[in-house]
Amino acid sequence: MRISYNWLKKYIDVKISPEELSNKLTNLGLEVESVENLGSQYTGFVVGEVVEVQKHPNADRLTVCRVKVERGKEPQQVVCGAPNVSKGQKVIVGLAGATIPKNQHDPNGKPFTLSKVSLRGVESNGMICSEYELGLGDDKSGIKVLDAHAKVGTSLAEYLGVNDTAFEIGITPNRPDCLSHIGIARDVAAAYKKKYARPVFKLRENKKLSIYKLAKVKVEDTHACPRYSARLIENVKVQESPSWLKNFLSAAGLRPINNIVDITNFVMLEYGQPLHAFDYDALAQHTIVVKNAKTGDRFTTLDGKDHQLDGTELMICDGKKAVALAGVMGGLNSEISRSTKSVLLECAYFSPVSIRKTAKKLGISTEASYRFERGTDPNIVIEASARAASLIAELSGGEVAGGCIDVYPKKISPKKISLRTERVNDILGTSISTKQISDLLNAIEIKTQKGKRKASFVCHVPTFRPDIEQEIDLIEEIARHYGYDNINNQIPGDVIFTLQDKKEAKINEIRNWFESNGFNEIMTNSLIDNSLAASFSDKTVKVRNPLTIELEVLRPSLLPTMLQSVSHNYNHGAAKLHFFEIGTVFSSADLTRPNPVNGYSEQNMLGICMSGDANQLSWNEKLRPIDLYDLKGVAQSLFTKLGLDNIHLICYDASKSLTESAIDIEINNTYVGFIGKCKKIVLEKFKIEKDVYFAEINLDLVTEFEVSRKFSEFSKFPTVIRDVAFLLRNEVTVQEIEDEIRKAGGKLITEVTVFDIFSGKALGEGQKSVAFSLKLNSGEKTLSEEEIEKIISNIVHAVQSTFGAVLRSI
Amino acid sequence: MSRGGELFIFYEKSMPMIDEKIVSIQSEIEKILPSISSKEMLENFRIEFLARKGKVASLYDDLKTVPSEQKPVYGQKVNALRKYTEEQFQLLKSRLDSTVSEKEEFLDRTLPGRMRPRGTRHPITQTMEEMKSIFISMGFGIVYGPEIEDDYHNFEALNFPPNHPARDMQDTFFIKDDVVLRTHTTPVQIRIMKHRKPPIRVIMPGRVYRNEAVSARSNYFFHQVDGLYVNEKVTFAELKGTLITFAKSFYGSSIKYRFRPSFFPFTEPSLEMDITCFLCSGKGCRICKHTGWLEVLGAGMVHPNVLRNCGYDPEKVSGYAFGMGVDRISLLRYGIDDIRTFFDNDIRFLNQF
Ligand SMILES: [Zn+2]
Repeated sequence: MRISYNWLKKYIDVKISPEELSNKLTNLGLEVESVENLGSQYTGFVVGEVVEVQKHPNADRLTVCRVKVERGKEPQQVVCGAPNVSKGQKVIVGLAGATIPKNQHDPNGKPFTLSKVSLRGVESNGMICSEYELGLGDDKSGIKVLDAHAKVGTSLAEYLGVNDTAFEIGITPNRPDCLSHIGIARDVAAAYKKKYARPVFKLRENKKLSIYKLAKVKVEDTHACPRYSARLIENVKVQESPSWLKNFLSAAGLRPINNIVDITNFVMLEYGQPLHAFDYDALAQHTIVVKNAKTGDRFTTLDGKDHQLDGTELMICDGKKAVALAGVMGGLNSEISRSTKSVLLECAYFSPVSIRKTAKKLGISTEASYRFERGTDPNIVIEASARAASLIAELSGGEVAGGCIDVYPKKISPKKISLRTERVNDILGTSISTKQISDLLNAIEIKTQKGKRKASFVCHVPTFRPDIEQEIDLIEEIARHYGYDNINNQIPGDVIFTLQDKKEAKINEIRNWFESNGFNEIMTNSLIDNSLAASFSDKTVKVRNPLTIELEVLRPSLLPTMLQSVSHNYNHGAAKLHFFEIGTVFSSADLTRPNPVNGYSEQNMLGICMSGDANQLSWNEKLRPIDLYDLKGVAQSLFTKLGLDNIHLICYDASKSLTESAIDIEINNTYVGFIGKCKKIVLEKFKIEKDVYFAEINLDLVTEFEVSRKFSEFSKFPTVIRDVAFLLRNEVTVQEIEDEIRKAGGKLITEVTVFDIFSGKALGEGQKSVAFSLKLNSGEKTLSEEEIEKIISNIVHAVQSTFGAVLRSI
Repeated sequence: MSRGGELFIFYEKSMPMIDEKIVSIQSEIEKILPSISSKEMLENFRIEFLARKGKVASLYDDLKTVPSEQKPVYGQKVNALRKYTEEQFQLLKSRLDSTVSEKEEFLDRTLPGRMRPRGTRHPITQTMEEMKSIFISMGFGIVYGPEIEDDYHNFEALNFPPNHPARDMQDTFFIKDDVVLRTHTTPVQIRIMKHRKPPIRVIMPGRVYRNEAVSARSNYFFHQVDGLYVNEKVTFAELKGTLITFAKSFYGSSIKYRFRPSFFPFTEPSLEMDITCFLCSGKGCRICKHTGWLEVLGAGMVHPNVLRNCGYDPEKVSGYAFGMGVDRISLLRYGIDDIRTFFDNDIRFLNQF
């Protein structure tokens, strides 16, 4: 809502600067979002009087003038080139420092700033301006001559009536009363403990004309339209509005159109009550019927747009056809034009819900619908209508027909709400007295009456405050006008012990682990493209009204958006990408499964993405590319850090759509996620050329497992280390051999570590050499050389016979 | 065995064989010693003289053949020679050790150290964690709720009536008529109040969604931390005190702040808290839209309708709630111009945090 400082001052008799007013408004909850000094482009221009004109000694076309620009001060010498300058004229003088909006000697009319100059040897202290130069019109032929009563020294902004300040105020949806100058004046006046003034006007009706004979109004839906009033003004002359009205509308951000429309807008900005003017002669049978549209009807609003109606819209109709979308926008068929002779003025109260539904469905938001949706004052209708009618009579020469049709079958009365002083102070933590409370409320026109109980009231809430419905709403009004700053800042004295969530601690531990192991945490989009999502899951969740088709489906996995980040970084020259993300993934779910919202399941996932170099280029280490074992190691180390054991990594032939060489992770026999290498077909979608390794682990599950860290006694006897190497077929996995070693070695084997794998021609086709380092410890005694030999030989024998391996000497 | 002429030790005619041997070995040692210039030569010297089967050691074998009355005399001599040889060996060894390391191993101390990998937490996580830890220290627990939310929790129970303009304050993504992407983390308040009994003191962090065009200043999703305290006799004064305590811990104890009345359907009275713009110290700049103030949070007393919707009696309990946007605050704190930078995840950006 844009407010004009000058107009606001007409309703409140308080001396306040725009700056002070701005702070006051903000403190009242009417947040000033910006302040605009409207006359600022005219700074440095004043009304002057030419008191002397002489020929320039050195130039025939120039004159040397003496211009009085400030009363009681010496006139200034100004050199002028205009042919029409003469003594006694009132003119506009630009003084040194002022910026001429349009230079008439520049082909593009570029602005320039004035300074004291010497023109052909004569000093000039300013410039007498033309209409064109000031941007006030197109006349370049000579200086603009003002009428004789213009006062010397008046600033141009003031002379033009645009010396105003506009406030852009963010009005919260609960304050429809402040969508008007009077409403804001009421709140400001209360803050200064003053009264505000309502507009004073006199409505002259022509009693010979009676609206009751000239027009009819019928309201069929009194629920959607509880009040409808109409006045008639005949013999109007539709023309341009006077400058005061145009200036006001411009300051408030509305474009002037013609006097009739401008007046309806003016009264709306003044009272907050939207009005609509119909061309009386365009109304069939001079009748207004307020009723619902019919399904399938079409209607063209005055912006020229055609709308398809579904029958729920409230329409203003004449004897034959619809003429307006009630409370939203008038129709093209009855709009005010230059040829309009008589105006039927609508001033009504519509149900907020009805207007909102229509405006929302048709996608129209107007100044009128905005106010009706939030709730206008049903009891201001007649005053606002009279105000508009009197202005129309005044500014268009029209005659107001006697009377006012007012269909208001069920009067809406002020609400009565009871209020307790104790409750006020309990909620606010204050000790405001009963007297103070009634004073604060009375100042904003809420009447207070003593209640039955001690220190209680019955409050009469005027109908312009539809937001006040219960005691707490009154408490808010009290707090607002008492001042938030005057309420103490209290720190709670009580202590509540809250159990800290173990999950939270585990997630923190996970972040710490990744951070100290060189990973960057990333945060990615939650919404992705439908076709992309479909390749990850067939149970995706779609947004019905997406911003773009790229952001249509909730991510079923962290992989696609993490790949977007990988791609972004490769496009910007990155070489080593070690990412993790913790975020939600979504899927549709079985209705029978318990979920916070039926039919949808959400999981908190950990995504790990590794691509490019495994390490940083440095003098002591060779660069090598990331491989599967890097990522597998990350997952294994992380689980170890989290104290999770009983982990099974299950390798299988990749049939999953996203990754090849996949490994499933199970903890305590529960599937918690997978590790794998992204398939080329997936990477191509992101234009990624390098390999990407990806793991996704369900944190809801991982953080659920109980971890008990207990000390276990370690052996007092020395550990023996023995290395063995086998020559095997390539297909035999390390896991299989390790299992075999442990089986053959029994409890005495405490650790099995692969420390060398190689293959080569020397070993023969399809063969590899795998070397293990074995740690042996009985825990009960020192193993003798013979015992060790026996175990090793058992192991070698077992591996040889199971896999046909050959023992290699090391 | 050679016999040298330039010996310093005495020579007796009647000395037995061993005596001759001692003299001879000693002279041999003294001759070799000055010529030893490498570790290798020193090792050869050790093997020749000091090793178990070396020349000095072999003298002990010879000692066995000496008549018993002369044994103490020659024993002393052999010991003396062994001691002398060992001392010379040690001396040379330490000399060689030091010269070798200086000559062969020049240590370039300007070589960079072997770096440990450095990881980063996302700046939004960092801001969020800082907020969490402040609230935890003030006795708040942490709870989470779903991002796909139903209309009831996201709007209705929070006192947004259907067809009310307040719903326009939050442009909404719809999944179904009555299922939305939550527009704030406030619905978690309803879930927790229905699930627990007062006193409740929790914060509710998480991701929220608004159907707004993506630009440098706004994104279609962002992160919020909401807070809720419900108990007997909770007051607006306490809310103010709590918010000031938080703001001073988070933004620094010297900040200036102001409270403005505002409107949220689920709180009443409602407020918004501004702090002096820390980029221009309140003088006014582009970031604070020339107001000198930055809006940092919204709050208020839990609306009685909300309490009633959760089955509480507003006459018996009251509460306050607050909420703040993590992304916007991170943007301001780190001086980032474009909110989209957070989600590009460019490592040149991430590595700065
Ligand atoms: Zn600033």
